[in-house]
Amino acid sequence: MILEGRALSIGYRDRLVGRDLDVALGEGEVLALLGPNGGGKTTLLKTLLGLLPPRAGDVRCGERPLAAISIRERARLLAYVPQSHVATFAFPAETVVLMGRTAHGNLFSRPTAKDRSIALAAMQQFGISHLAERPYTMISGGERQLVLLARALAQEPRFVVLDEPTASLDFGNQGKVMREIRSLAGAGHGVLFTTHDPNQALRLADRAYLLRDGARVAEGKVDSVLTRDNLEALYDAPIRTLTDRTTSETAFLPA
Amino acid sequence: MATGLDRRAFAVGLAASVAAPCVARTAVLTDAAARAVPIPDRVTRVFPSGPPAAILLYTLAPELLIGWPRANRAEEREFLLPDIGARPEVGRLTGRGNTANLEVVLAVKPDLILDVGTVDATYVSLADRVQQQTGIPYALLDGRFASIVETYRDLGLLVGRRDDAEKLARYAQATMDTMTQRVAGLPAARRPRVYYARGPRGLETALGGSINVETIDFLGAHNVAGDRRGGLSNVSIEQVLLWDPEVIVTIDRDFAAGVVRDPTWAAVAAVRAGRVHLSPKLPFGWVDFPPSVNRLIGLWWLAKILYPDQFPEDLRALTRDFYAMFYHVTLNDQQIERVLAGRH
Amino acid sequence: MSRSALPGVAIALLILFAGVAFAFTLGRYPIGLGDVVDVLAARLSGRPPTVPPTVESVIWQVRGPRVVAAALIGAALAVAGTAFQGLFRNPLVSPDILGASSGAALGAVVGIYFSLGVLAIQGVAFVGGLAAVAAVYLIGSAVPARDPILLLVLTGVVVGALLGAGVGLVKYLADPYNQLPAMTFWLLGSLAATGVSDLVPLFGPVALGTLVLVALRWRMNVMSLTEEEARALGVPTGPLRVAIVAAATLVTSASVATAGIIGWVGLIVPHLARSLVGPDFARLLPTAAILGGGYLLFIDTIARTASSVEIPLGILTAVIGTPFFIWLLASVQRTWS
Repeated sequence: MILEGRALSIGYRDRLVGRDLDVALGEGEVLALLGPNGGGKTTLLKTLLGLLPPRAGDVRCGERPLAAISIRERARLLAYVPQSHVATFAFPAETVVLMGRTAHGNLFSRPTAKDRSIALAAMQQFGISHLAERPYTMISGGERQLVLLARALAQEPRFVVLDEPTASLDFGNQGKVMREIRSLAGAGHGVLFTTHDPNQALRLADRAYLLRDGARVAEGKVDSVLTRDNLEALYDAPIRTLTDRTTSETAFLPA
Repeated sequence: MATGLDRRAFAVGLAASVAAPCVARTAVLTDAAARAVPIPDRVTRVFPSGPPAAILLYTLAPELLIGWPRANRAEEREFLLPDIGARPEVGRLTGRGNTANLEVVLAVKPDLILDVGTVDATYVSLADRVQQQTGIPYALLDGRFASIVETYRDLGLLVGRRDDAEKLARYAQATMDTMTQRVAGLPAARRPRVYYARGPRGLETALGGSINVETIDFLGAHNVAGDRRGGLSNVSIEQVLLWDPEVIVTIDRDFAAGVVRDPTWAAVAAVRAGRVHLSPKLPFGWVDFPPSVNRLIGLWWLAKILYPDQFPEDLRALTRDFYAMFYHVTLNDQQIERVLAGRH
Repeated sequence: MSRSALPGVAIALLILFAGVAFAFTLGRYPIGLGDVVDVLAARLSGRPPTVPPTVESVIWQVRGPRVVAAALIGAALAVAGTAFQGLFRNPLVSPDILGASSGAALGAVVGIYFSLGVLAIQGVAFVGGLAAVAAVYLIGSAVPARDPILLLVLTGVVVGALLGAGVGLVKYLADPYNQLPAMTFWLLGSLAATGVSDLVPLFGPVALGTLVLVALRWRMNVMSLTEEEARALGVPTGPLRVAIVAAATLVTSASVATAGIIGWVGLIVPHLARSLVGPDFARLLPTAAILGGGYLLFIDTIARTASSVEIPLGILTAVIGTPFFIWLLASVQRTWS
């Protein structure tokens, strides 16, 4: 199954953000979306998720246009992990993860035993079972992000879309979350994430999509797309490349 | 310096004469607020500041009334002098809900503004202010029931109808004396416990000392809600059952009609004895509002309800006489029946 | 599942039963618990009761309906308040926020102004409440917005202010001797004259609205998230919002039409319930309903027994509610962030 946007024009009612974009994500692969602030990454993300209607073109999931799929069914195909989660009420972490099962019941249904076991399994997978009864508002930023990941996993989706998943995490937690993201793809999910960090894209993703001012700068396998020239064109700033002499791994730094 | 003093004195004198009301004064009345009210030479138009003032004036000198605070309804006009009763609505200047505009007051050019009601600091300052702003004499007379006699005499002085006022004052005095005398001898046991019911469910009542139950208090009856002092208040039916009044006086037609069938009220002594009475109200209420001289005929009605043995007089005759004397209308038997029945 | 909700619910039920017991035995007319039991037993077994007929009449015609009304209205306002706090993502929201109370108030004072009968006044008040919220909703959805919730709140505030001005105008025009005291007392809230006939128009809308909200409680957790997250989780936020607003408005309008404006119940009881069973709406909603009934029962009992005259309910709920709320703010902040 492929999640794709064809000839997409994206934006809001009063503002066009990007036009004529083609994006595709397959199951089991990781796609990184890179670009400067205000370039349209989040808008594209939300359009692909069906949270924002496209101004032109369409989004399809498995050949079916997203507009023709009900909100409930969409949630069984696509999972969204937002950058931050505004918690008005201090639900326990387990309740938050359980909300991921919403789309698997109808409007009035209560969580079943199966729902609970799936939620528990998702928490176990990310190693946060011990946080089940702690209020979401009282756990650390990294733990919160893992809870949201577990919630996404509990949805049993085909695709997981993450908006800057490590933006507010400390350095140690960044690595942990990145590993989990990689494992999602290993389990067969299609993963799309936005990031400000080309190194993250290099390590985690299979493909990268460079977006600037609502237009595609480059797209393709990370090794071929994430070059110093492309990145300088993307961020309109000088970039330095560092190469590890022993492993020949590359890293990028602002110059 | 001499010139400066002269100039200043001249300026002050000029200002005083300009600010003074342009009404020739010959005498001054000390009104109920101990204010010195200049008595105009000739009074042809009087502005009533509220319903009690309008009614009082109507009884004494109806043709002087410029208009009514609230336009009279058709069923009320039937019991008033036709051309006077139909005079226009001028709004109220004082009391709850001031709707009269001072400019409107000035435009109708009254010789006198009459206010009959509570005499406290608020109303006194209002009187002073209006008199100063408009230059029209503003008389504040006591609206309490016990002061009716004095108030009539004051009004007679103000509008130059001393003889007529004296007649009405004497009637009022005689009525009140009769009441007081006959009731004075009665022991406490013979004085009935009364519940005053307002509102469609009859659960709004007047507390002790309230103007709404002045005449009930005057007649020496015991207001069951009178232990607490205050104005109007709501109670629950349980409280009424506890009080178990012997007489219920109501002003609400729906309540009077429905209470005899209501199982919750059935236990109340007054309901069992059939002593639930609906106050007449045409053209003006006999018991409650407006709180003015209209309650005088209501005294007889109340007295006969509360002390049937002490007051054998024929209410119909009394009503006919009162309406002729105070409201200036002659009633036929049918009209008297309608009034006494309490319906619209 | 996380820690059991049972102790919390048990406490709520205890408060409700205590409230009922107090309400039946306390009052201006002396009635003991034995009398109540006797009358109930008599009705069930078919034999005549041993208490005097007045007592029996007070129990069935006066206190009984009042107890039922207080419990129903307390539950209704609490449930509506809980639902709205979730829907508007704000723990400081009350059921009045969309103008239901203001609309009902305008309907009632207009009814009093035209000297309508009691039932007609209640009817106009009920319709007024529904119409106000419908207007707010229509205006709110006609304007396109990124945040539909914020727009609803703002529209509600504006419409509420307009309706309040209308109430002021009617009060100004009313007869100050006769109508104005009636309006003032109505606006302050009271269950003073509640009889059996008042329960009929109250029960239907309250039962229907509460049922809908209770049925939807599993989705309310998700509705308390942002619009985007909720939709991403598979919840049709638009229609669900309409359903929740409609149900909450139904119960609020019916309550206000019967008893006048009683504030602070819909604001405080959800917090009390949250401190008992936690923020999960699935447990919170039923608990709030039970607790709300008990809460208003206690307050109404005070309103009619503290003195020989009735203390308006709205005043008592504010006087009791405000310090309570301040205490809540200080001590139980951990249940909401």
